[in-house]
Order: sequence, then structure tokens, then C-alpha cells
Amino acid sequence: MTLRQKLYTVWAFFTVNIKRLFRDRLALFFTFLFPLIFLFVFGGLNSGNNDVSFNVAIINESKAPFAQQFADQLGKQKTFKVDKEIKTFSAANQKMSRGELDATIELPANFGAIKPDVTYPSGQAVVHYTQNNQSAAQTLTTVLQAELQAINTKLTHSQTPLTVTQKQNNQRSLSSFDYTFTGLLGFAILGAGIFGPINVFPELKKMGILRRLHTTPLRVWQYFLSVMLGNAVSGLLSIGVMFVVAMSVFHLKVVGNFVELALFLAFSVIMILGIGLAIGGWAKNERQAAPLANIVVFPMMFLSGTFFPRFLMPHWLQNITGYMPLSPVIDGARMIATEGKHLVDIGPQLGIMAIWLVLVYAIAFRVFRWE
Amino acid sequence: MVKSNQVILQVTDLRKVYGDKPAVDGISFDVKKGEIFGILGPNGAGKTTTLEMIETLREIDGGTATIDGIDVAKHPYTIRGMIGVQPQTPGFQDKTKLTELIQMFAAAYGEKVDPKKFLDEVNLGEKADAYVESLSGGQRQRFSIVAALVHNPKVFFLDEPTTGLDPQARRNLWKLIEEVRDRGISVILTTHYMDEAEVLCDRIAIMDRGKIIKLDTPQNLIKDLLQRGFTKEQKVEQANLEDVFIDLTGKGLRT
Repeated sequence: MTLRQKLYTVWAFFTVNIKRLFRDRLALFFTFLFPLIFLFVFGGLNSGNNDVSFNVAIINESKAPFAQQFADQLGKQKTFKVDKEIKTFSAANQKMSRGELDATIELPANFGAIKPDVTYPSGQAVVHYTQNNQSAAQTLTTVLQAELQAINTKLTHSQTPLTVTQKQNNQRSLSSFDYTFTGLLGFAILGAGIFGPINVFPELKKMGILRRLHTTPLRVWQYFLSVMLGNAVSGLLSIGVMFVVAMSVFHLKVVGNFVELALFLAFSVIMILGIGLAIGGWAKNERQAAPLANIVVFPMMFLSGTFFPRFLMPHWLQNITGYMPLSPVIDGARMIATEGKHLVDIGPQLGIMAIWLVLVYAIAFRVFRWE
Repeated sequence: MVKSNQVILQVTDLRKVYGDKPAVDGISFDVKKGEIFGILGPNGAGKTTTLEMIETLREIDGGTATIDGIDVAKHPYTIRGMIGVQPQTPGFQDKTKLTELIQMFAAAYGEKVDPKKFLDEVNLGEKADAYVESLSGGQRQRFSIVAALVHNPKVFFLDEPTTGLDPQARRNLWKLIEEVRDRGISVILTTHYMDEAEVLCDRIAIMDRGKIIKLDTPQNLIKDLLQRGFTKEQKVEQANLEDVFIDLTGKGLRT
């Protein structure tokens, strides 16, 4: 057989298997929807994490127009999330005791009333809080103080010689969602590269499909290559969907080059797939594959930064876990996507991945069994 | 009959040992071009192991097997391109059309084929776009046979091809196997059905405990037994229950 014919074999297996993926609802679910579910759950937990805001109730007992204006103004501020349902102290206390409200702002009956001898309104707002919410209440009081101070200045036309203002520098720092998202990318790559083969291969062996292929001149490398291509394509599609959702729903900002990112992720998928091929190709049945896959996958899941960023770990542990196969994948993806680094900048990550690639495929070829 | 005297498969003193127990104990036989060769024997006699060694699936511990002069042990990939194998229970990946599976099998041999032509050969043209899981047992066997022949092999191996099929499908498969033989392909099959061996096989090897204990044409084997004075309880009926079944339900193939 010529090399051209051998590559045609790879191509034919690849195209049929891609078609098959799109006919298999269960496979589609695990390839496309499953990572998205994780994205929505973890993305939802993390969204808005960057703004400090307080859940408050405003109880306005005053009839003065100023009090109403002031309450409306607070409602429009980003700092306050006003629960408009709550009108009474008992309702507010209930919610505060459950921790759903940080504090209750009371505008007493005389708040905003204009005293006979002056032209401006006066009064004192009260911040009510529970024992556990002291710090929130303190911050809240300070914020309210500042608000009122600004109004005071306008009302009494007094001078304020010393002030402070804030200015954002244009540098972007990584948000916790950036870490969450690249962690989830790693999780999706684990799923596609390992859970796929360890479920599919024992099934193919059980049905005698691989055994039958073994009676043909098909070589292991041809078979592996067709699986690699298939996984790289379905993996990139699945990751692409994740990016679209992350960018449109969770405002992920990708500053890096998409081509470099795709190349890097394809390389990642293929490298991790080697682990799946080694386990699935070796195992005679599901019962052999599952425990081994768990032993390999769980450490990566918890130590490589899929669900918890690695920078939260003690230094010595970060150093060790950095050498696990999935860590450079997650770090590299984050560096390209959110830090705008180029492939040449992430040499260390690529190096570790290349070593793993050679290692896992050497094992996969060695332990592969057709039946 | 295309049968010629050209030897296509030559097996000499073939051995397979599991632990210290010989599974195949030095067997020799040859199969000629365009011949249907049956291997019979009780379970555990070494039939499947013999086939698997010739099919390159199992290592040969002793002796040699050559197909068209090529050593099986030395050139497994060349041999795989020359043989077609029908396993006992043909499994195919699901959610794949018959045409796609034919293309895949041809591709495994590095060839491009017109799948429709092959499916028509075994009356599966209408099922071309169906998934393999929608086929009946008989259709699956026919499909499996045609899938094993996409590369026009010289030798075709079938391991208990008709086990579990209804009488109509069985007869249809016999016809199909004869057609394969008539194309000049040598067929080697194992079976537990003596009627099948008698109808189908040009020659039969009977194996027991890893050895071939008798090898001849079915007619000669029977004649030989009778000459040794064997008598069977005389039966007056000129038909058996299978004849009744076929008479009542017809020879038409069910899908």
C-alpha cells in the first residue's frame, strides 16, 4: 500500500466517524451541551464578582418628597441592590436573618422634613444590621455618609476643600471568570480526550469491531490518527461553542490571537487524548477502564486548575502540579486567550506538553489491544 | 465448479500451545483454489484457534502456514490484504450507513469502491442508507460477508456462519457461499451442522483435541464408514421435519 492509500484510509475512517458523532444524540450532549452546563453553573456563580454591592431593603416612613427622591436615587446606584418587595421591618428582619439581605436602610418619619427656620431638609437615616453583617453595615454607612455629604454640600452651599476622586488605569487584570473559564476548557478537554475513548473502546472491543478491523491491513497508527483527527475537530467545535457563550453571555474578553489559540487547543486535545487512547486501548472492558481512568483523571481535575485556580495552592504544591499534563493546557490557554500571549511566549508550557505527548503515545501504542 | 488443483493455502505441522496444553497439535492440510473446505469438531477441538493463526490474529507457536506461497507469520500485513474474515458474531459500529461501512472496510485495504454494487450483490441495495442496527440476523450475515469481500480476497474464512439463523436464511447463505466459491475464492468454514457440511463442503477435516483425525470429501467419509460395516437404524420416511418446514413456509428469504 502506498502512503497515499494509507492516508486515504485515515481520512475515510475520520469522515465516517465525524458523521456518526452528529447522529448520536448522547455523544452530542456530552460533546456540546455538557461543558456548557458547567459553564453556566460556574459562570453564574462568578459573574458580577468584581463589583462590590449590597443587598438592602429601604423602608421609607417619611412622607417628605426629599425622602422619596433620596430612596429612588439609592435604588439607581450600582452599589445597592434594593429589594423592592420589602416594605415592613418584620419582612426585612426575616430576610436579614437568612442572610439574603445585608442591611436595612430606614428613613424615619421625620427624614427630609424642612425645619421652620431653614430652607433645606434634614434628618437621620438608620442602617439596621444583624450581628454577622457588621462589616457590610459599616461600609454601607460610610457610603451613605458620602452620599449625604454630597447632598449637604449642595444644600448648604458650603466649600469642600479636600476631596478624593477615583480613576481607572487602562490595564486589564484577570477576573475570576477568566480563571473559571480556562479551567472549564481544561475540563472539557479532559472529557473529550479521556472519557470519550475509555467508554468507546471497550464497547468496540465487546462488539468485536476492533477485532474485525484487526483482520484487515489497517495499522494501529492509522486508526489512532483517524481518532485523533476526529477528536481534535469535535473538541475544537465544542470549545468554540464554549467561547461563543462565554464571550456573549459572560463578557469574556479574548485578547489573544484566535488562530494561535485554536492551534494550541488542538494540540492540547490531541495530547490529552493520548491518555484516553492508552487507557481505552489497553482495557479489555469497562471494568478495567473505569478505575484506571478515575485514578488518572481525579488528580488532574482537582490539582490542575479546572475548578480551583492553581494560584490558590501553597507554593510547593503549585510547583509540583505544574508538571501535570493538564496544568500547562489550562495555563497556556489562559495566557493566550486572556493575556494576549503568543505561542513563542509559552515555551515552558508547550515543552511540558510535548514531553507528555511523546510519553502517553509511546504507552498507548505499546499497550493497545484489538480485542 | 471452479475447483482446480492449485493449492492456495498450505498448512504444515501447525501448533499452538496454551501453557503446557497443546490447543492445536501439529496439524497439516491444504486448501485448493475455488474449494469450500470445512473444519468440523466438538467445542474446544482447536478449530477457531487454527483459523485465528492462519488469519494472523494469533501467534503461530510451531509449523507454518502459507497463502499463495506467502508465509503467514512472516508477512502478516500482506496476508491480511489477501484474506477476508467473517467472525462468529459480526459486530459493526452503530449509526453508520451500510454504504459507509463498505467504504470503511474498503478503505482499511486502501481501496475506494462503489458500495452500491456490493450491496446489490447480496440483495441489500434497498438498505444502502439504513443503519446496520436495523438489519435482521440474516441480512447482517449477508452484509458481513460482502463487507469481508470488498477487496476481492483469495481466501475467505467463516466461523460458524449460520449459527442462529432460520432455515430460509441458512439456505440463502449456503447459496451465497457457493457463489463466492464460484468466483474462484477458496472458502474455509467451521460449523457444527453436519447437514451444512455435507451440502456445502468439497472437503472436510474433522478435528478433535487439537489434531485432524480425518480429512476427505463428505461422500468418501460416509462411504468409508459404511464399508466398515456401519448400519444406521432404517428410516422409511423420505422427508424430515426441515423438509416439512420448508414446504410449509417456502424457500423465500425473510427480512
